[in-house]
Amino acid sequence: MTRLPRGLALPIAALIAWETSGRTLFQPTDTLTRPSAMAAALVQAGMDGSLVQATAETLAGAAIGFLIASVLGTAAGIVLGSSRILGGVAGPTVELLRPIPAVALIPLGLLIFGFGVRMEVMTVAFACLWPVMTVASAAVKGIDPRLIEVSRTLEIGRLEQALKFILPSIFPRLFVGLRLAAGVALVVAVTVEIAANPQGLGYRLILAQQNLRPDLAFGLLTWIGCLGWVLNRGLVGVERRYFWRFAPAKRNA
Amino acid sequence: MKADRLVIAAGAGLFLLVLLGAVQAIAELRVVSPVFFPSPLRIAEALYRQVAAGSIWSPLAQTCARMLSGWLLAVALGIFVGAVIGSSANLASYLDPTLEFLRTLPASAVMPIFILCMGLTPQMIVSVISFGALWPVLLGSLHGFRSVEPRLLEVADTLELGRFDRLVKIEIPNAVPDILSGMRVSLAFALILSVVAEMLASVEGLGNNVLLASRSFRTSDLYAGILVLGVVGALTTAALGALERRLLRWR
Amino acid sequence: MTPVADSSRRSALSAQDVSLCYGRRGSSRTILQNVSLEVRSEEIVCVIGPSGCGKTTLLRLLAGLIAPSAGEVAFRGAPITRPRRELAVVFQDYTKALLPWRTVTDNIALALESRRVPRHEHQTLIDPLLRQVGLDRHADFFPAQLSGGLQQRLQIARCLAQQPSVLLMDEPFGALDAMTREVLQDEIMRLSVASRTTIFFITHDVEEAIYLGDRVVALAPNPGRIAEIMDIDLPRPRNQLTTRETPSFLRCRHHLRELLYTLAA
Repeated sequence: MTRLPRGLALPIAALIAWETSGRTLFQPTDTLTRPSAMAAALVQAGMDGSLVQATAETLAGAAIGFLIASVLGTAAGIVLGSSRILGGVAGPTVELLRPIPAVALIPLGLLIFGFGVRMEVMTVAFACLWPVMTVASAAVKGIDPRLIEVSRTLEIGRLEQALKFILPSIFPRLFVGLRLAAGVALVVAVTVEIAANPQGLGYRLILAQQNLRPDLAFGLLTWIGCLGWVLNRGLVGVERRYFWRFAPAKRNA
Repeated sequence: MKADRLVIAAGAGLFLLVLLGAVQAIAELRVVSPVFFPSPLRIAEALYRQVAAGSIWSPLAQTCARMLSGWLLAVALGIFVGAVIGSSANLASYLDPTLEFLRTLPASAVMPIFILCMGLTPQMIVSVISFGALWPVLLGSLHGFRSVEPRLLEVADTLELGRFDRLVKIEIPNAVPDILSGMRVSLAFALILSVVAEMLASVEGLGNNVLLASRSFRTSDLYAGILVLGVVGALTTAALGALERRLLRWR
Repeated sequence: MTPVADSSRRSALSAQDVSLCYGRRGSSRTILQNVSLEVRSEEIVCVIGPSGCGKTTLLRLLAGLIAPSAGEVAFRGAPITRPRRELAVVFQDYTKALLPWRTVTDNIALALESRRVPRHEHQTLIDPLLRQVGLDRHADFFPAQLSGGLQQRLQIARCLAQQPSVLLMDEPFGALDAMTREVLQDEIMRLSVASRTTIFFITHDVEEAIYLGDRVVALAPNPGRIAEIMDIDLPRPRNQLTTRETPSFLRCRHHLRELLYTLAA
């Protein structure tokens, strides 16, 4: 338990130092601010509804893109991972597409969909697709061969095999990949909003910058950071609660 | 086994060709509007045009210069700070939650703050790229220096190795794999941030090219630009990967 | 000729009334209690005992890696406060005790570097060591490319390169196959004579302890303390085939195994 207070010591000390120097050494200007002003700006944004709306927009874009990428990526990963031939054939094409930075697709999204949630979803989906596919493929390759043999002796169809044997077997490892992809989804959504899309938290951040509101800008940054942190923590918690039972079995295998 | 691999490789090549052919056919048949979806031939043509006219080189150089300078700065700082924090268990425990929080912070989200404080200047761009690229290599370095096998430290004790020898012969080689993998992720971040910065600040570069092409509906140039960015990403990752394999032969 | 346990020989390592406890007031665990032991110069002392009797802890105390809660450990009469090059330790988890990024040759060189031996002299010192432990064909391999047995031999070679006066070995042959074990047992005995090294050897194998040792120390568990120290009056040099079948060997074995059964109960 002593670890938590220790870790908080630095942020709290930093906040206090910032606040006091904000009251003594310098005054809030176009570019400088202090924690109390940040908090005030955030609270105000919360009360006038802009924070809630922006958060909803960002989360929507991230979530939809993430879902699309998860479904497609898992399916593709399973297919490519379970067949050495298919994996080998499709491999180079995947390797050609994967290095493309998702942000490079932003102008393409703008071209096809214009501003709005769809171009954001497209970019997020592209970014999340590859990590999910990679993890799913690796997870499939890591399935205990005996399990596959069992499924073969039962002579069930490919689809049933996938649903009843493969998916449950890879789910723990897959979940880790999905957790990471969720983080990527949030980051990419915010990035798209900063670069181009006039909605969501990223856009509010750019607006704050353009309107010379450092208090709101820093406040939003902290808010975004907290969102990401809560999301990650929440997923890690789920992972620990539901997937701990998978770990011991693997160790004995 | 060798013949097997050859067949798969041939299959892969065939697959790619078939895919390109199918895409070409879809484009020719105008199933999707060519505004959104030009044929691969047109894209290749646009790329060739850019190379022939020499118009690709300057933006390419600018983007790469930005990416690399930001990255090198981040790497130098990250390795050093990671080493300092990682060598002291005390310091590390104080900083852990803060670093945990900063790790999940979107690097691009600090860009508006940087713009606010420094304006749309080249220094701002390099600074924000360095800041974003700092975290993977810092965390990698931190982990590498923290994760020294205790048994090895005991071996160092029995050999009566001094502090300097311990650092150079044990702690640093131990940290190299984590540092290298952090560097790889950092480079990817640096590329992404360069592109975003170019789009925001409208400075010359590959990211800006793509944005301009999109605005003027020059779809072939747009796709060509995306391709070039993909190639840059692939080449840099491959180069670092090769370095990693060379240095980590012992694994 | 049987080398008589010469009490006039110098003491190499000694533990005087040593105890080690963990924990704070109220809930403390005693790992070792009032252990007194003297290892004489050039002697081979083997330590056996059921799990939990503190064998490894005793070795670590003698190596200077941990300090006793009570009593004193000494090397040549002087108290041991920290590890030293003359007390080489062969760890049980050999893989973790090797530098994975250095080749076999360079791992051994680490010990030479610590002794500040000039670079140009390294090869002449390393080659005979490689031959001695049987790694001469693996000089440029990395530890990850070696089997468990070879890795352990590498660790031993590195310890030998320290030119120690005492070799402290923690179940060094536990994970090796029987053939390798026998080869290395004989090698250790040969080495002890050739370079006049004192050996402190922990094993769970009673026969190994009798075969190698001049004396065998049996520890009792919970808390760890000395149950018996037995002199082994077997002639040297010893032989894997003949020595192990002699009546005295079998007597020693019977006695110690009986002792271990009662201790483990």
